[in-house]
Parts: sequence; C-alpha cells; structure tokens
Amino acid sequence: MLKDITLGQYFPGNSLLHRADPRTKILLVMAVIVALFVCSTWIPFVILTVFIVGMVYASKLRLRMVMRGLKPLIFILVFTAVLNLFMTSGDTVLWRAGPLSITSAGVNKSILIVVRLVLLVISASLLTYTTSPIQLTDGLERLLSPLKKLHAPVHELAMMMSLALRFIPTLVEETDRIMCAQRARGADFDNGGLLRRAKALIPILVPLFVSAFRRADELATAMECRLYRGDTGRTRLRQLKFGGADAACAALTICFLGAAIALQLIMA
Amino acid sequence: MDMIYGTPEQPILEVRDLSHVYSKGTPFERKALDHVNLSVKKGELIAIIGHTGSGKSTLIQHFNGLLKPSAGQVFFHGQDIFAKSADLQKIRFQIGLVFQYPEYQLFEETVGQDIAYGPMNMGLEHEEVTRRVNDALDAVGLPQAISEKSPFELSGGQKRRVALAGVIAMQPEILVLDEPTAGLDPAGREEMFDLIRGLHEKRGTTILLVTHSMEDAARMASRLVVLKEGSIFLTGAPSEVFTQAEALERSGLSVPQVTKIMLELRRRGIPVKTNCFTVEQALDELLRCRTGGIGC
Repeated sequence: MLKDITLGQYFPGNSLLHRADPRTKILLVMAVIVALFVCSTWIPFVILTVFIVGMVYASKLRLRMVMRGLKPLIFILVFTAVLNLFMTSGDTVLWRAGPLSITSAGVNKSILIVVRLVLLVISASLLTYTTSPIQLTDGLERLLSPLKKLHAPVHELAMMMSLALRFIPTLVEETDRIMCAQRARGADFDNGGLLRRAKALIPILVPLFVSAFRRADELATAMECRLYRGDTGRTRLRQLKFGGADAACAALTICFLGAAIALQLIMA
Repeated sequence: MDMIYGTPEQPILEVRDLSHVYSKGTPFERKALDHVNLSVKKGELIAIIGHTGSGKSTLIQHFNGLLKPSAGQVFFHGQDIFAKSADLQKIRFQIGLVFQYPEYQLFEETVGQDIAYGPMNMGLEHEEVTRRVNDALDAVGLPQAISEKSPFELSGGQKRRVALAGVIAMQPEILVLDEPTAGLDPAGREEMFDLIRGLHEKRGTTILLVTHSMEDAARMASRLVVLKEGSIFLTGAPSEVFTQAEALERSGLSVPQVTKIMLELRRRGIPVKTNCFTVEQALDELLRCRTGGIGC
C-alpha cells in the first residue's frame, strides 16, 4: 500500500544519467518540458519519444518501474483525453450522437496530449529516479543562488526542501508502523462510510503528529549541537562539478530537442 | 475464556514453511524470511532472538496477519489464518501484538479511553469494557486513578505500560511482545520482565518475546528460537541452545556474559561445561570442577 509510492523516489545506479551533475539534469529536464509544449505535430513527437525512452533505457531503469509512477495519473490522462476527443471542432466528423461529435482533429489532439503528459511525467521522474534528494536540493540551491543577491532565502528553502524530502520515507514508515499497531488492536481502516473512515484515521494522525513534532525538535537540537547557523560561511561536503557525463547528456539532449523543434518549426 | 479447541497436543500457533520477500520486483527486493517453521504450544513462553534484520519483526507480523506471506502458512488453533473463511480481525483480538516502542501509538485524550480502544473495536458492552480497562491497568501495575490522565503527561515507562495494557485489555490468548524493554532503564526492564512473568504465570497467557538479548531470553523463556538471516538457526531449551555457544559466537550472535566467561575458561584449559547462563549455574559448575566432581 504505502510502499508503492514510487513517484519521486531515487533508484541508486551508475549510469550516464546517475553520474551527471544535478544542475545539468534539472536544466535539461526543463528544456525537455519546453520542447514537449512547443511541439504539436507527429514527427517531432516521435523524436522526443525515442529520446526519452532511450534515456530511460540508458539509465538502466526498468520501464515497468517508470510506468508504475504513471498509475496515479490515469484519471487525469483519461479525463483530458476524453475532453479533447469530444470538444475539438474540426472539418472531418468521424462520429456524431446528439451534441457530441468526434472529429479527426479531436482524435489527433487527444492522442498527442496523452503522449505529451506521459512523456512529461516520465522525464520529470527520470530526474528524481536518477538523482538523490540531497543532490537535487544541492543542485537547486546552486541554480537559484543568484537570487541570494536579492535577499531571497535560497539556502533556507533548499534546507527545508531537503529536510522534507529526507523525512518523507521516515514518516511513511512511521505511518505504516502506527497503522499496523492500531490494526493489531482491531482498527478497521477499509470499511464503513466516509465519516467512519475519517474517524478511523484519528488513531493514526494523532501519534503521527506527536512523533513528527518530536522528531523536528530532536533534529533542531542535533543541528544546533553541530553549530548550524544557516548559510553564512558554510562549506560543502559534496562539491558539484561538471564533467564528461554532463557534456554527453547535454549534447544528446541538444541534438534530439534541436531536431524536434526544428522539424516542428519547418512543418508549421 | 477456557474454550477448548482441537486436541491438547495441537499447537496453538503454527508456522509452516513461511517465506517473506519485501518489495518484490523492485531493485529493493529483499528476502526477510526463508522457510521458517515454528510451533507454539499453549502456555509456553518462547523467546525469539536474533540480530537486527534477522527477520524477527517480520516473523511476528505474520502471526496475526498484518503481513501476508510470500509463501507458507500460519495456523491458529489449526485454522489457516489467511484462508478466505478466516476473520483476521477476530484473530487479531486473540493474538495480541505489542510493537516495539508501543508508547508511540497512544492517541486518546485519557489513558482509560486509550486502553478501551481495543475492547471497543471488539464490540463489547460498556460495562465489560470498563471492567477490562481496570483489569488491564491492574495487570500492568498502574493505579486506577491514572485512567483519567492524558497519556501524554505520563513518564516513558508509564506510557509503555499503558500501551501494553491496551493490548492486554483484549485478553488475547497469545501475547507477542517486540523488544518490550527497549530504551528502558535497568529498573524499568526488571519491572517489565516481572510483569510479563506475572501474565504468563497468573493468567496462563502464551507469550512470545522478541529480543536481541541472549541474557534476557535465557532468563525468561522456556524455549529459545534463534533467527539468523531469515531462517531458524537454532531452537530448543536455553541449556540446549547454549551448548552451541561456539556456533552462536562464530555466527556473530552474542551469548550471555556468564557463558562467555565459561567459554574463555574452557579455552584456557579448564574443563568446565559451557552451557551455563546464570550466575548460580556457573557457580555450581565451577565448584564442581574445583572439587573434581564428574558431570552435573
């Protein structure tokens, strides 16, 4: 149940993508997302699909694993597909029943949108599957560091993010444990009406909050014991460096995205 | 309470060929239990011992169906608890499971209400629930007056007893305790062990005690089950298990301090037996050696 959450989970490995600098990966994923929205015809999409599936393959992740991250999105995918299928007006009407009609443009558009969303999620999860949360926040902090000049609390935000990410698995585990403990006392979380189910959550939420506050308190003490004073004068254990893997990733991405966008512009 | 199920020889709880694999089909796949067989008779006090990660906690969560086995079965009074006809919720009332650090599961406004949570889930009458709450408080040695207090204003040791009372109030036939003394001071540990012994002796509750301390296990249990890497490594009465002291040491499981001393003596050429695990036994054995007696 709770263990099945894979979106945003890191899978250790040593592939090209694993070795690349988090900053490179963040920037490239942003580029891919832009490209996915710029392209709206078939051939560029085929190129992008080949590129993203190739990247999944190169990162040595199992495709099934990546697809599992799409499960929570099934509803949105179906909803947008159906909406676009019926709501797009066009010249060639394929099917009509009362106010509803399906046009070839609608079919075209709904398939493209589903492909676009799927690719979007896969490329975003490629980032989180191949980058550990610590690397990710380090990368974000470095990318956003110019904003420090404007007195934006970049370091604090990155620290909050890495703490939150750090504690997600802990809290999931804790929730699991508390649920088991209450189940052992005969709690029933799966049956009954909405009100009863909501009430059944109290025995989980109260201990969970209590322990979250306890953990936060302990963590704050531990950080202060090690003289944490925020960003000023802080050096890093892991220095981020660009290397060969980054050059390779960037080159590949530029080639494929360039081709896709160029074709899109020519054909439009 | 004294319902008779099956034949007297029939084990109250039986585990057959139980295997459990976590996160099957992901890079995190891990085999936690590998073909475990275990049979528990009514009224026994068994200690399940093993290192962190040896599968102790995974094993006990199968006893009341919180985890489903990847392969194998669990029988309670001869009935397969994972069978479609079995009512897991009912079984959970009869096999009380007290998790590690159970005080973190307390949630109600008052101690009394928290202890009543299990009995209320059983659908008992109000008077019966009150009776059981008082009885459970009594069993864990807490005063009745405490039941009006908030569980969050109690001391650590008191909280743990309240949590334990919450399970005892369901009056389970089997009580499974996962490291009940973890994080308690020596006095607290002694009290907890006295309390468990009391439950076993006065109420005849079958008890399965999970611990990583050989000392505690030897002192408390009539039978030890030693787990190692998800399989049963050794099982038997404490004196039997500790005749294998060398094997235990070699596999990285600690033996009681007293046994360690006896092992060292033997290594230095003094012909003592090494299956001692209390100071008294060791004393007898040493006296025997000194007077040159044969065997004990």
